[in-house]
Amino acid sequence: MIQVNNLTFSYSKKPFIEGLSFEVKAGEIFGFLGPSGAGKSTVQKILLGMLPNYEGSAVVGSVECKKHGSNFYQNIGVDFEYSTMYEKLSARENLEFFSSLYRLRHRSIDELLMAVGLENDADKRVADFSKGMKSRLNFIKALVHDPKLLFLDEPTSGLDPTNSRLMKDMILEEKRRGKTILLTTHNMQDATELCDRVAFIVGGKLFALDSPHNLIMSKGAAKVTYTWIENGEQSASCDLTEMAGDKKLRNLIAENRLQSIHSSEPTLNDIFMEITGKTLV
Amino acid sequence: MLTIDKRFINLLRWDLRFQARYGFYLLYVLLTVFYTLVLFAIPGSWKEKTAAMLIFSDPAAMGLFFMGAIVLLEKSQKVTSYFAITPMKAREYVWSKVLSLSAISLVVATILATVAGYTAIFPLLVGTFLASAIFTLCGIIVATKISSLNQFILATVPIEIIGFVPAILHIFGVTGSIADRLYPANVCMDMIMGDRPFAAGLLLTVALIALLLQVACRSVLKMWQEQGGVKL
Repeated sequence: MIQVNNLTFSYSKKPFIEGLSFEVKAGEIFGFLGPSGAGKSTVQKILLGMLPNYEGSAVVGSVECKKHGSNFYQNIGVDFEYSTMYEKLSARENLEFFSSLYRLRHRSIDELLMAVGLENDADKRVADFSKGMKSRLNFIKALVHDPKLLFLDEPTSGLDPTNSRLMKDMILEEKRRGKTILLTTHNMQDATELCDRVAFIVGGKLFALDSPHNLIMSKGAAKVTYTWIENGEQSASCDLTEMAGDKKLRNLIAENRLQSIHSSEPTLNDIFMEITGKTLV
Repeated sequence: MLTIDKRFINLLRWDLRFQARYGFYLLYVLLTVFYTLVLFAIPGSWKEKTAAMLIFSDPAAMGLFFMGAIVLLEKSQKVTSYFAITPMKAREYVWSKVLSLSAISLVVATILATVAGYTAIFPLLVGTFLASAIFTLCGIIVATKISSLNQFILATVPIEIIGFVPAILHIFGVTGSIADRLYPANVCMDMIMGDRPFAAGLLLTVALIALLLQVACRSVLKMWQEQGGVKL
């Protein structure tokens, strides 16, 4: 669905994006992770055809982004992090207006509103919506024309846990419907849960690209941490795979002196820090 | 070229709806009543020129002022960011604004002209439409480049001076050279007064509109792309 080869772009003489290559397969959720100023926004702008002065190749569908026509956007839906609605119009009017800009198939506005729990607020002015309600409305606005490719920017930002869950379930449902989704988020838990593959981008360069599971497993084994009482509480840890060889642990088990024991895997954030030397949160 | 298709018709319909929702029509009902009362109150010999000045300076020129409000509102609600990634073309956006605002201009101009006893309604409508298109396009061009209402008011002052002053001097015959009748604002004023314009003047006016249209489309596209950056 997306093919990027040796992409280079600069706002000044110094390259901002340098030799970036990656592919997003049809039907996958691809996560773009990186700190502010990493170049994610620029790559997204290039993929949305808004920055044509790049070198290399960026193909979305079968269209080179710098050469796109206006029909390019018939199959693209974008959920910006911020609200992009007419505040004086109702939720339903906004969805009707934006869907009227597309020639292709339209999804049922009532069903979309119901899917995000806004069916009872459909005729309320957007100005009276909470931030979370606006986020949900923004999300379904990207779906009204049933695009094949979705760009989601921090889709769970500002949502309470219930609505965050609802949003993530909807994203997974869209994947099941066959959509390709490019997700940009700082939320590592969301990325781990939703993404088939993630790309770490820092300073305009790609540092890693793999599934969250592979990244976690390849860079750090699960650890076991245990505690016991000996002149106060003591703790130690070892790799899960080396538990049997840990003499201290074996002795504590034999003497029934363990206070606690638990295992933990490194998080995607740990892996991001290890690979890039930067933090996302 | 303007492609009249379903999307453009939808856009135009929604622009008319937005203008109604944001109170444009109510405002112009009140203004039309006020202007009508003014026209009834003044002596008969003043009516024609007063009506022409009212039509030229308000309904015909309203696009100049209202485009600032419309674009600033769309910018503040970040709707322009979204336009950048829809199939809507800049020229559809521009034409929709020109036609929807000129619809108000034409209705108000017709009412005022009727009250003032005009008989040459057709040239009045053409003159009002051309003036409305010029002012709306100028309004769009300026509005795409500013970020506050104060900036907009300041930036439109030169347009008001070069748009209104020659036309008002022209109506009173202060100047009278042939060149005056070629000046687009004066061409529109002539037509609003029911006069037949110079063909060369009309041609120049249409050429100016075509030029402004190109500039407006480029300015809108640039604004969408600049506004459309996704902050990640």
